[in-house]
Amino acid sequence: MTWRSHGDGPPVNAARPPRVDALTLRPRTATALVLASLAGLLAFGWPLLVDPGTGLEHGLDAPLVLAVVLTAVVVVLAVALGEGGLDVKAVAMLGLLAAIGSVLRPLSAGTAGVELVFVVVVLGGRALGPGFGFALGATTIFSSALLTGGVGPWLPFQMLGAAWIGLGAGLLPRGIRGRGEVALLVAYGAAAGLAFGVAMNLSFWPFQVGPGTELSYVAGDPLGTNLARFATFTAATSLGWDVGRAVTTAVGLAVLSRPVLRGLRRVATRASFGPPVDARSPRPSTPSSLPTGRVAGR
Amino acid sequence: MIRFEHVGVTYPGSERPALRAVDVTVEEGALALVVGPTGSGKSTLLRAATGLVPHFTGGLLTGRVLVEGRDTRTHLPRDLADVVGVVVQDPARGFVTDTVEEELAYAMEQLAVPATVMRTRVEEVLDLLGLASLRRRALGDLSGGEQQRVAIGAVLTARPRVLVLDEPTSALDPGAAEDVLAALTRLVHDLGLTVLLAEHRLERVVQHADTVLHVRADGTVQQGDPDEVLAVASVAPPIVELGRLAGWSPLPLSVRDARRRARGLREGLDAGGGSSPTHVRSLPAPPAHAGDHAAPAALLRADDVHVQHGRVAAVRGVSLELHAGEVTALMGRNGAGKSSLLWALQGSGPRRRGTVRVAGRGEVAGDPSTMAPAEARRHVGLVPQDPDALLYLESVAAECAAGDRQAGAPAGTTARLLRGLVPEAAPDQDPRDLSEGQRLGLVLAIQLAAQPRVLLLDEPTRGLDYGAKRRLASHLVAHARAGGAVLLSTHDVEFVAVCAERVVLLAEGELVADGAARDVLVASPTFAPQVARIMHPHPVLTVDELRPSLEVGA
Amino acid sequence: MHPWAWWVWALGLAVATTRTTNPLVVGLVLLAAVVVVLARREDTPWARAFRGYLLLAAAVLVMRVAFHVVVGIKGPGQVLLDLPRVPLPEWAVAVHLLGPVTVEGLLGAVYAGLRLAALVVCFGAANALANPKRALRALPAALHQIGTAVVIAMSVSPALVTSAGQVRRAQRLRGQEPRGPRGLVALAVPVLDDALDRSLALAASMDSRGYARAVRAGGDRRVAALLLVALLAAAVGSYGLLDATTPGWLGVPVLLAGAVAAVLGSLLAGRAVRRTRYRPDRWGVAETVVAASGVLAGTVLVAVTASDPALLEPSLHPLRWPALPPVVVLSVAAAVVPALLPGRPA
Repeated sequence: MTWRSHGDGPPVNAARPPRVDALTLRPRTATALVLASLAGLLAFGWPLLVDPGTGLEHGLDAPLVLAVVLTAVVVVLAVALGEGGLDVKAVAMLGLLAAIGSVLRPLSAGTAGVELVFVVVVLGGRALGPGFGFALGATTIFSSALLTGGVGPWLPFQMLGAAWIGLGAGLLPRGIRGRGEVALLVAYGAAAGLAFGVAMNLSFWPFQVGPGTELSYVAGDPLGTNLARFATFTAATSLGWDVGRAVTTAVGLAVLSRPVLRGLRRVATRASFGPPVDARSPRPSTPSSLPTGRVAGR
Repeated sequence: MIRFEHVGVTYPGSERPALRAVDVTVEEGALALVVGPTGSGKSTLLRAATGLVPHFTGGLLTGRVLVEGRDTRTHLPRDLADVVGVVVQDPARGFVTDTVEEELAYAMEQLAVPATVMRTRVEEVLDLLGLASLRRRALGDLSGGEQQRVAIGAVLTARPRVLVLDEPTSALDPGAAEDVLAALTRLVHDLGLTVLLAEHRLERVVQHADTVLHVRADGTVQQGDPDEVLAVASVAPPIVELGRLAGWSPLPLSVRDARRRARGLREGLDAGGGSSPTHVRSLPAPPAHAGDHAAPAALLRADDVHVQHGRVAAVRGVSLELHAGEVTALMGRNGAGKSSLLWALQGSGPRRRGTVRVAGRGEVAGDPSTMAPAEARRHVGLVPQDPDALLYLESVAAECAAGDRQAGAPAGTTARLLRGLVPEAAPDQDPRDLSEGQRLGLVLAIQLAAQPRVLLLDEPTRGLDYGAKRRLASHLVAHARAGGAVLLSTHDVEFVAVCAERVVLLAEGELVADGAARDVLVASPTFAPQVARIMHPHPVLTVDELRPSLEVGA
Repeated sequence: MHPWAWWVWALGLAVATTRTTNPLVVGLVLLAAVVVVLARREDTPWARAFRGYLLLAAAVLVMRVAFHVVVGIKGPGQVLLDLPRVPLPEWAVAVHLLGPVTVEGLLGAVYAGLRLAALVVCFGAANALANPKRALRALPAALHQIGTAVVIAMSVSPALVTSAGQVRRAQRLRGQEPRGPRGLVALAVPVLDDALDRSLALAASMDSRGYARAVRAGGDRRVAALLLVALLAAAVGSYGLLDATTPGWLGVPVLLAGAVAAVLGSLLAGRAVRRTRYRPDRWGVAETVVAASGVLAGTVLVAVTASDPALLEPSLHPLRWPALPPVVVLSVAAAVVPALLPGRPA
């Protein structure tokens, strides 16, 4: 992998493959992600946190208000990610990989818990960096919702959940390659697939059972009690699907990780996000118009 | 208005420069044709003229490229969008939107052209390229030629002064290719656009070119008038080959000019009936054809085959026999049902009605569509239009090993076949790093490992240069000589002229002609090869057939 | 019809359904949504998804009732079905199953389920009627880049399905069975390689057609600051909503302030994007009528329930027929107007 042997940077060490970041997270974008994730955690976990007497504990108000807030958060994040310019290759790849994901989604929806979308999101995040993984998770869910007519209050929750999965995949330790990498991704994929299902269930919990059952959340109850009720609810409803999703994601990753990562990394190298500027030319390309993506190690 | 000043390009990780010491100038309003063997850096030259090299692909550019006075070192491709329009080989891959009108407007939207101006320009371009009737159609539903014209239109709306096209007609049938080239020459002549065009099948475009840039294998570029450059270029269309052989100077580049020069040659053939070209085919006639009384063995017999795709009847009642020892070309427009027929004959594709029977070793083996895929391919092998779809492993060696396993052949069979077809492919290479022709060879080796007697190929000549085509032709003929039958669909009449002795012509899913290549090709105004047009009324198809008469004449 | 008009209409109806559990009002809203969809829908994939929404709505209703019967906390009332109470063993968090089902309890569950079902149908209506491709074209400029990725995803997905089919077919030619892990790799790798190659070709084509020329590179510090303020407000505001111990201004007011910051930031970010639109969807009288009819229904219900919370609330103790004031009926009837607009859906 000594492809960048010219120019101003040192030659890339063949032992440590170059770290690809198709969508660089600048400090301010990273801060935006953290804040948005905090808001997202509240939106997901509110039944466990809500106090009595806030006027939100009844009816549909709380989930809908939080869905609106979360929609706004996702939109603001999209603006923040795009602000300042993305590499056109990153945009095109985002579109293509999101298309693969959205094609896989309706295919898998019919069979109980078979869900291959996260295979694409995890591998995309792993090969092309956390920022790209985040954007990939969100755009995949969004475009598949548009394609199948699945836009609703659940959409921002799903988008954020999938985006977190892609982000996490990008943040996994970089140095591991080969069998170790596959094992790492399989474990992560299984955990992420299960967590996604549980989180979705959590956001849907108050809708589905409403107040006044033995499995409903009770505002102001200790966290443990509410968690226990939620656990029972999950076990009674979606756990089978969630386990199915975790298993298919893990199996998909076990089978596909190596060949797919090879393809993604190959193209990432070819794409050379943030193209190198000719070192010998008298004037470099106008720096202000350079895309923001880059390959670390320059 | 493109100027290369001592340009060199080296890609990252490669020791050899793709281009070096290039000093060429394309004048305003000229149609410049870029020629050269595959992998010689034609695409690099085109990409350097659009700023994609080095800004998009990476690599080191030395010297400078000026386009309409803009230096590509300081101008990114997007900054050149209003002076250079780029059309890629497969237009469907460059489409961003999904309807014709929106695609035409896309570049203008990015350049913030006012809405009213956009409306008028879209209408102009629709008229200019004859796309008005397609304006609301989905891009995916268009034919290849229509897509290519939309792709040209999509860059024209930004009013560039230069058009750069990388093999715009390589996927098109002769008629559609003519349409696209006619549109291009009109743009050059009527609008004064400068066009930089790379093309494999020179016979289609060479007569329109004002100047030729010959990219040599070492990365240097020679520029000159078409007849001068082609007289010595490493690639040559049949008309040039004929001219070189006959020692014509200046070289005729159009059929019209060549016919004038070839008057003597035709008269010579009239006089010397004994050296009638039928007896000097470049390839000796197969043994099965030696005597009329010995009917050749039919390896595959299809009767009344119908294929339906949704509401479209793709193939309608085709009956066909493929004989041992015969190379047959399947020709016809894009969408005439060639691919559907090939797939139906192989047995994996859908077939609504009709029968297909293949001969086993000795007796009739049965219908390939009722066999397991692994069994069917032992009788009928098919190399599909996109051979890449068959390749999925990380190295050539792994593909070969998998090929042996899938074909049930002894280990090493595929690798041995591959060495015969593509000697230069290294076992540890990633198949995706091979050239298009090498990948085709790999897929052919994988299919031949199952030892099918009937070999079907769908558009095998796409992206092959003259040398690669010659090698492919000799392998196909060898397969036939060994007692097999070959059926290949292609638009490439020159390739057919070299390797096929029989041509089957398909139109709208029906078989409209089936006969000796010579009879079918010479009679057809669209499918006649260049040499046939020059030598008309003599039924000559290739330069090689004329070689003896020319040598006698000299 | 402008796609956003349908969304405004449907969101108005959705707001209306959330204001009350009155089955008559909710039923009317649901009916209005279904009537308009049946009158205005076109033959598109997303319109066909409406059936799925109706099924989902029915499932939601059934589930809600089932949950009430199985694990509901049963109050007093006329017993309809005297089921025994079954305590689960201690390790299963002390949940009691079943128990006597009362008319009041059952109706309460049906009312709540119906409201949720109506909400689902409202979103289904918007999905069925609004053309997502045109909605994408009408995205604000600040979302240019991510929006482009989604546009690409939507326009190439049919080609990907075709490509997958071709690869599957081609693999069979070399005797590769399409099953098992090996089959999955044999299918996935060529499709992915093709898609990735395509993405590079597409990027080259977009770049040479001036994409990204529209975007001022480097970004704007003010935009970044405004967006961060908005996100901070979202996090703090949500917390303020949920925590009773925080002062009241930490809830809704902070969220509203954040919304203002978000809009300002997006507008500023949008100004950095220089591009134009070819034949944009116009917002005409019809669009205004459609949007207004939905907004009217939502506003009237918000106003009615705010002025007299008990007026619409159906009484279960004692059981009484729910009230249906004429003004509510009229406002919901107005939501059917889009079905009567002249001209076929275009």
